[in-house]
Amino acid sequence: MTVAAGIGYALIALGPSLSLFVAVISKKPFLILTVLSSTLLWLISLIVLSGIWRAFLPLKSTTWWPFALLIISSVGFQEGLRVLFWKVYKRLEDTLDAFADRVGKPRLFLTDKMQIALAGGLGHGVAHAVFFCLSLLTPAFGPATFYVDRCPQMPFFLISAIIALAFVTIHTFSMVIAFNGYAEGNTTDQYFVPVVHLVAGMVVKSAFARCFCLLSQKFSLLRILFLIVLKNCQLSPETALVVFVWLNVLCHACSF
Amino acid sequence: MAQNQRPASILDTLGEEIVRIITPVSICMLMVVILVSILSLDDSSSSSAMPTIATIAYSETGSDSSWDKFMGALLNSLVFVAVVTAVTFILVLLFYLRCTKFLKIYLGFSAFVVLAFMGGEIALFLFEKFSFPIDCVTFLVILYNFAVVGVLAVFISKMAILVTQAYLVVIGMLVAYWFTLLPEWTTWVLLVAMALYDLAAVLLPVGPLRLLVELAISRDEDIPALVYEARPVAHHDSGSRDGVVRRRVWSERRNVLHDSGGDVNSNAILSGNAGSNLNSGVVLSVASGHNDTRLAGAEEGRVVEANAELSAPLIDRRMNDNMHRQEEDDTSENLLLEGIGLGSTGAIKLGLGDFIFYSVLVGRAAMYDFMTVYACYLAIVAGLGVTLMLLAFYQKALPALPVSIMLGVLFYLLTRLLLEVFVVQCSMNLVMF
Repeated sequence: MTVAAGIGYALIALGPSLSLFVAVISKKPFLILTVLSSTLLWLISLIVLSGIWRAFLPLKSTTWWPFALLIISSVGFQEGLRVLFWKVYKRLEDTLDAFADRVGKPRLFLTDKMQIALAGGLGHGVAHAVFFCLSLLTPAFGPATFYVDRCPQMPFFLISAIIALAFVTIHTFSMVIAFNGYAEGNTTDQYFVPVVHLVAGMVVKSAFARCFCLLSQKFSLLRILFLIVLKNCQLSPETALVVFVWLNVLCHACSF
Repeated sequence: MAQNQRPASILDTLGEEIVRIITPVSICMLMVVILVSILSLDDSSSSSAMPTIATIAYSETGSDSSWDKFMGALLNSLVFVAVVTAVTFILVLLFYLRCTKFLKIYLGFSAFVVLAFMGGEIALFLFEKFSFPIDCVTFLVILYNFAVVGVLAVFISKMAILVTQAYLVVIGMLVAYWFTLLPEWTTWVLLVAMALYDLAAVLLPVGPLRLLVELAISRDEDIPALVYEARPVAHHDSGSRDGVVRRRVWSERRNVLHDSGGDVNSNAILSGNAGSNLNSGVVLSVASGHNDTRLAGAEEGRVVEANAELSAPLIDRRMNDNMHRQEEDDTSENLLLEGIGLGSTGAIKLGLGDFIFYSVLVGRAAMYDFMTVYACYLAIVAGLGVTLMLLAFYQKALPALPVSIMLGVLFYLLTRLLLEVFVVQCSMNLVMF
């Protein structure tokens, strides 16, 4: 609608990730590189998916099953890529440990490993937010706004910003949970992540009739996810507080 | 909490130099994207752009067919690359004849022209766009002072490093913006052509840049050129008990020559080491205050090359732009250096030509849509990282442009053709994953 609104939408989508970046990631250059490479990896995954699905677009919007197929295939592909990411990370961890031994410094601590996982997840979330929300925001800086048939109560930009915010959080912490699960062989955690991803994708699609219902569902899911993450990881209290406050503010804002 | 008592792990300092180079490249790209999106002109008015040497063969108009545009762009790029090659050979000749003073004066002159004239024109565009009230005299005084400080920053090595870095980034940004004013097909084909030229000029034995590098090595001199130097990393660990300080690649080669009788021509190796590797690696020298004891070590020049953690070879290239302007008769040439190298304090140096061409690519992508900007930015940063790793692997002089430009162009095409449709379709139907 205006430049201010455009910047507002961008901040809704990327606010927590920006705070996470400034508080945790920017202090360690290796994590910045991890975020960049993770973002690149998920961009490549999106390009591959778009290459596969290009022939079938535009999809007919009346039936629901092409979209379900799209979501299932995309989520499956991305989860497979996450396993691959984990394998590459294991090799990286070995290289870093060997380097640390040679240099005479201590090996990677658990918090270091979790911070790398967090950076990887942040890259995934930022890739989603940037390509699904930010890159479509260009018209939002102009004088008008845009509504979609599926949800006529709110401008499209607001919907995509809030959904992008939800997905950023999901992706960021899913990576931490998944890496923890793979490291400890904890199958509950390992399966929890893809399931949440799939459910989130499906929820967005299916509950288009009632926008607010959709949003509050999404955020309860997020709260559960977040509590699990808090149980497993040792996030610094400031970071945890910041992200949790953000989430709660948005949950309450959406359930009026 | 408990973290305060733990010793610092390697994660704290690893990768610092790479980030110190990626940051100014990102800032330059960001500023060019902002300039382009603020000052974007539509196609009809950009076709009346001033004749430059890059459009001398063919001026693109909106009505030509794709094939015509492509052939015209190819012709333009060939002319441009030919001119650049010729001028680079002239520079090699001048350097060979030891006309260093002339080169330095020329360097200052070109920096002044870029800052004063190009910067002034862009400032005028901005004033026009925002209806900013300013009078001639104030503007000229400010512009003149700005340009003169820039020239001093480029000339004098004792200037505060932040000022020098900022001015170099600004110079890169201004030249990159002017390049984005070229017609579209010409820009893309020109980028690819420059990447290929870079590849040829550095790797072929007759390449002008390779000759320049070898001349500089054999004389142990610095080539006078516009090069961005990152702030050197200060290593606070006990560092160089056994470590070796690598000061400059040229003195390094000379020492290696004495010690091992190695082949000078084969490779010029630089190691940028983020975490000091005591036994079998190389330690970068520290910020100036701590240099004294380590400089002594440098003079002896014991080199251990076995496990250089991160090697970026020295690539010194020189590239000239010729930009004709309607008001000027003379050509103004800029001395730009491309490639990655190691400075006298051990920090990583990156030639300004790289800044410029990366920013041109991203600026051109910005003229289409922001999705391509993000994709191309990630591709270029990935290319930069890949280049550094390739250099560590091959231990040979490799150019910095080709990988990034090729990846950037590839991602631009993929995003424009495939990703955009997919993402827009998905978002419109609220299908997000």
